[in-house]
Amino acid sequence: MAFQIILNIILAVIWMLLHDRITLLDFFIGYSLGIILFFIMRRFLRFDFYFTRVIAIIYLILIFIKELIITNIDVAKIVLSKDMNINPGIIVYPTDLKRDWEVVFLASIISLTPGTITMAFSDDGRTIYIHSLHIEDKEEAINRLRHTFEKTIMEVSH
Amino acid sequence: MNRNLFFNTVVRTILFIILVFSIYLFFAGHNNPGGGFIGGLMTSAAFVLLYICFDIETVEKIIPFNYVFLIVLGLLLATGTGIIGIFFGYPYLTQFFDYFELPILGQTELTTALLFDFGIYLVVIGTSLRIILDIAEDD
Repeated sequence: MAFQIILNIILAVIWMLLHDRITLLDFFIGYSLGIILFFIMRRFLRFDFYFTRVIAIIYLILIFIKELIITNIDVAKIVLSKDMNINPGIIVYPTDLKRDWEVVFLASIISLTPGTITMAFSDDGRTIYIHSLHIEDKEEAINRLRHTFEKTIMEVSH
Repeated sequence: MNRNLFFNTVVRTILFIILVFSIYLFFAGHNNPGGGFIGGLMTSAAFVLLYICFDIETVEKIIPFNYVFLIVLGLLLATGTGIIGIFFGYPYLTQFFDYFELPILGQTELTTALLFDFGIYLVVIGTSLRIILDIAEDD
């Protein structure tokens, strides 16, 4: 991946030198050209086309913003309702993520969305204990959403 | 494959530099030496390097283009840009150009000659690679 980024920058510099114009615009054009070339020749590269990871990161950010809005509305509904009919509880969530920073990343995303908070990790650090504000009808849905987060994080870091 | 180790590793990097240079040549054609023909030849030269590096089946997986289709597309593009002039009452193959303010690129001169050139580019790539492959596949 690092090799591809370096090669991409070299291609952009070659593009600037060929045009004899050392400007940011020409660097940008050369860099985008390099991305297009990598995309066309992606089966030739020994590693994955690195831009798919950039797209995965953007996708993760979009998912996070969407979840943030939805869960904010849910929590606001609970707080503003007359009779607070909630069913709090703790979810034990075993994760498939391998590296430590991935698990920490997932846990902080869970904490940042309202309604759920990461309480603790198991000793091996691969099981997360999540406190949820309202579980009864949502456990399945929450688990599914966590799987989308987990899947996207895996796509970013694989 | 081990005897090609040096060759394959060098091609892995050089290939992209050749492709960038060929695209530079293609766009330089209006004001500097270059153009569709030499750009297309250089692009197909880069692909020929791939064919020397690997066997035909692998390269067909890497660049899944049908070269005959490229020739057809290029000819259609070249004749199509010529026909545009007829609809506005100009002779065949009249070229139009104007300056446009594009979002990132700033002021850019866009001409229909570029599309014509792109047609030539595609035809040259398709023809040269089809010739080489037809000779190579003939047992």
